[in-house]
Amino acid sequence: MKRKHKRLTFVVIAGLFIALAVGLMLSAFEENIVFFRTPGDVASGSIEEDRRIRLGGLVEEGSVVPGADGLVNFSITDTVDTVQVTYVGILPDLFREGQGVITEGKLMNGVFVADEVLAKHDENYMPPEVSDAIKEAGQWYEDGEHGSGDQ
Amino acid sequence: MGRFFCVLRRDLHLALRQGMDSFMVVMFFVIAVVLFPFGVGPEPNTLARIAAGVIWVAALLSSMLSLERLFLGDYEDGSLELLVLSPATLETLVLAKIAAHWLTTGLPLIVAAPFLAILLNMDGEGFVTLVAALALGTPTLSLLGAVGAALVLGSRRGGVLLSLLILPLFIPILIFGVSAVDAAVGGYPVKPQFMILGGFLALALPLCPWAAAAGLRQSLE
Amino acid sequence: MAMIEKYANPTVFLGITRPLVPWLGGATVATLSAGLYLALFASPADYQQGESVRIMYVHVPAAWMAMMCYTSMAIASGVGLIWKHPLAHTAARATAPVGAAFTLLALVTGSLWGKPMWGTWWVWDARLTSVLILFFLYIGYMALNNAFDNAQRGANAAAVLALVGFVNVPIIKFSVEWWNTLHQPASVMRMDGPTIHASMLWPLGLMALGYTLFYFWVLIIRIDADVTAGKIRALRQRRAHS
Repeated sequence: MKRKHKRLTFVVIAGLFIALAVGLMLSAFEENIVFFRTPGDVASGSIEEDRRIRLGGLVEEGSVVPGADGLVNFSITDTVDTVQVTYVGILPDLFREGQGVITEGKLMNGVFVADEVLAKHDENYMPPEVSDAIKEAGQWYEDGEHGSGDQ
Repeated sequence: MGRFFCVLRRDLHLALRQGMDSFMVVMFFVIAVVLFPFGVGPEPNTLARIAAGVIWVAALLSSMLSLERLFLGDYEDGSLELLVLSPATLETLVLAKIAAHWLTTGLPLIVAAPFLAILLNMDGEGFVTLVAALALGTPTLSLLGAVGAALVLGSRRGGVLLSLLILPLFIPILIFGVSAVDAAVGGYPVKPQFMILGGFLALALPLCPWAAAAGLRQSLE
Repeated sequence: MAMIEKYANPTVFLGITRPLVPWLGGATVATLSAGLYLALFASPADYQQGESVRIMYVHVPAAWMAMMCYTSMAIASGVGLIWKHPLAHTAARATAPVGAAFTLLALVTGSLWGKPMWGTWWVWDARLTSVLILFFLYIGYMALNNAFDNAQRGANAAAVLALVGFVNVPIIKFSVEWWNTLHQPASVMRMDGPTIHASMLWPLGLMALGYTLFYFWVLIIRIDADVTAGKIRALRQRRAHS
């Protein structure tokens, strides 16, 4: 009987610890540990210049200006705040206006100098005809918003 | 409870008698970190940026060093069988051995870490976070390591095998330990990282002694 | 329990499953060829990704299988530890290399897909990192299994490791929801139904079925080989003693 009692105490203590662990982890996830920062973080001034960060958001419509030698200027927006980005190099296939992207680099004089641009794609897969049909029916969400907005 | 402290005291006595073990672990820690300025160049900014990661990785590797001995001595001289046969729950005794391991290796690493942070030119804001994160993370390392140490008992090439098993399991602690320090240096809140490190510890505290005890039992079958 | 005991006898198990091997092999080849034809030629290109989306049909089912194999390995290990059925350990041991191969396939195809789509071969986001850890766990499992002179000890020790490492599986599954990852969230196995068009879902499902059939096919062959190897070992020992 005593041994059984002991077992039970152990199981209860272990259960409490595991519950504590789950509670801690779940509330930590609400605090939002991020793979990237957003233009809102830049606007709030919480990001130091010259520190290497990842900046993520949507490529603002009409902001992409290609220059010479692979130079590209564009803006990243979280639909509220916008950051000017400059980048030299090859862009991924999925890079286009309205697409969710993650850039890596440093903030210099208010301009984000990226040395890497990654395109984020969303979890929707469909043939082009279908996407056209949905767009025509007027049931399309803002292009790309789904890709980075819902996480 | 009495038996817990009995095993703890015994292991601490053994460690202090030999003395060298703890010292060598800390020396390994220091030397491993000191290698980096030679490897990546002495530029202060570069060193400051990688300081947290280097210290954490070196801490992982150093706590690996002494893990192989955790149960091996008892296994070889037969006292492990006495522990298994003792009326106390094996899990409690395993926890005592783990606590002794942490006190003799984890704790010295935490004490040494700030000095290494100075050598690596780490930002002042990171110091407290580094020590606190190590204090929360290294017990989990000892707990996880005990599972590996129990599993490789009696195998060929135990030491190498142990690192192969355990280092992947250390990765989450490394990630959040480093990210806590980076967040502190960058001026971001460190609470979520600490909550996750605390969560790992709370999860490992009951589960790892249980798994390690299961490993020990089957090693004696 | 009595029924499980009966089928857990390797001879009975192999008596039932051995005749299935050619059928499973044939079904695997047929399903995978149909699936690959649909995936690579007959299915439409994606509205955003174009033709590169075809990598998905190889990548996604491989990633599913990587997790499925680990889950079955962990369950078999648990059964082997609790009820001490040698067949469960054999099944777990037979699963490990298949699971590791699927994990590697998922990592490699993901990398090939990531370069054109995301613009990088590899990023250290939560999904990619946790799958890499899964691969290391498979390797560790196999190494531990083979590290003992006494095969039974290896099986037991590796089984404990498989159970401990199982923590990683839910982390992989939910990493894309918990963290802000570069990897996109789930498209098929989600609460509100698939977000993938039917014309692409069919080839994907067929490929997943083909991979699963392949797994069971190889599993039976490997269990058969393992049991036979055990018999040979026993015969040799008997001869050495006599």
